[in-house]
Amino acid sequence: MRTETVSVVNTLGIHARPAAQIVRCAARFASNVTLTVDGESINAKSIMGVMTLAACRGSAIVILAEGEDESEAVEAVAELIRSGFGED
Amino acid sequence: MDGIPRGEDLTVRRLHELTGEKLRLTPVTGETGFDRLVRSPDVSRPGMALTGFLHRFLHERIQIFGETEITYLRSLDAAGRKLSLERVFHHPLYCSIVTKGLEPPAELAEFSRNSSAALFLSSRDTTPLIHDLTDFLDEVFAPRTSVYGSLVDVFGTGLLVTGRSAIGKSETVLGLLERGHRLIADDRVFVSRIRGALFGRGDARMRHLMEIRGLGLVDVQSLYGIKAVKERQQIHLEVRLQDWSRENQDFDRTGLYQRVSTILDVPIPQTILPVLPGRNLTLLLEIAVMNHLLILQGRNVPREVKEDLIERIISKENEQTQSDPDGRSEDAD
Repeated sequence: MRTETVSVVNTLGIHARPAAQIVRCAARFASNVTLTVDGESINAKSIMGVMTLAACRGSAIVILAEGEDESEAVEAVAELIRSGFGED
Repeated sequence: MDGIPRGEDLTVRRLHELTGEKLRLTPVTGETGFDRLVRSPDVSRPGMALTGFLHRFLHERIQIFGETEITYLRSLDAAGRKLSLERVFHHPLYCSIVTKGLEPPAELAEFSRNSSAALFLSSRDTTPLIHDLTDFLDEVFAPRTSVYGSLVDVFGTGLLVTGRSAIGKSETVLGLLERGHRLIADDRVFVSRIRGALFGRGDARMRHLMEIRGLGLVDVQSLYGIKAVKERQQIHLEVRLQDWSRENQDFDRTGLYQRVSTILDVPIPQTILPVLPGRNLTLLLEIAVMNHLLILQGRNVPREVKEDLIERIISKENEQTQSDPDGRSEDAD
């Protein structure tokens, strides 16, 4: 099991396009990936799950992965969120 | 291949064979001019040319002599008619049609015969005749291509199913036929662009045959009856079946991003559907079409969800700003 906590940096937060990016990124890994915001946990491979988070700028997201490629999975999702999804 | 002659091969004879009944054409000068080629998808009314204004006379088109032209010719004496027709037939005309069952002046038949041009009489009114003739010529002269895939009419929507060979297109299409949809073409679709829209047909020689691996060729009309087949259909939507792999996540998870595929320079919406064991592709194709219909009607669910989500994020952010103004002010610049 691996976890990492990152902060949402882009202005609009995790709206539809970033949500789709997270899901696509997480789905590339075999591990189960979970995101937790304010105590609510969802499956990072589910677009509807990620969208229900409605994470805004400044929200802390706990990324947790379990499985054969858990380290790579956590790092990839964390990097994506840290990068601001190529937005401001 | 699709049974429609190509523009460059359309002879007057073929035109007569294919449209004679619908346009109610009777040859006036036997088979004179029947081997001439039709040279344009448009038609011309030669009224102005008959009166002597020959600038921009569109002689490469089929000439339609309606009531205006015939009344004008009749208003002249024999010498005048001859002079008038001489000007027009100075150009290489190949086919004229007199409409409304009007008696063609003897001089018109004579000039036609002398210049090896066909002359027909139609009992139909001019404007509807021109519409039907133009419809036919538009299809004959349309830009064409062929695409690998199957074309099915699903709820009146032309669905083009594409994807690599052996991915399961034909099986999926059989499922659609089973559910009452109609096959236009399997394997290869002949596409024409007519007035900005794409129309597909099957190979006229193959009729509605399909190859199902392991079963060989099956005849859809014999199996499902006439209701399961259709000759021609406008293409509205493409669904591309794609192998699913963990590495390739290049398909839309939200439905927000409309992909477009282009055939003969006409854009059509394209959906990529990953193929996975246990997925009911037939059902998914029906849903793809229904979704397309909803969007046409103005209901774009992904967009509604997206807008709703942005509102939720903004209100959440406002709540946080109110409860923790210092924490936010740091991020604001």
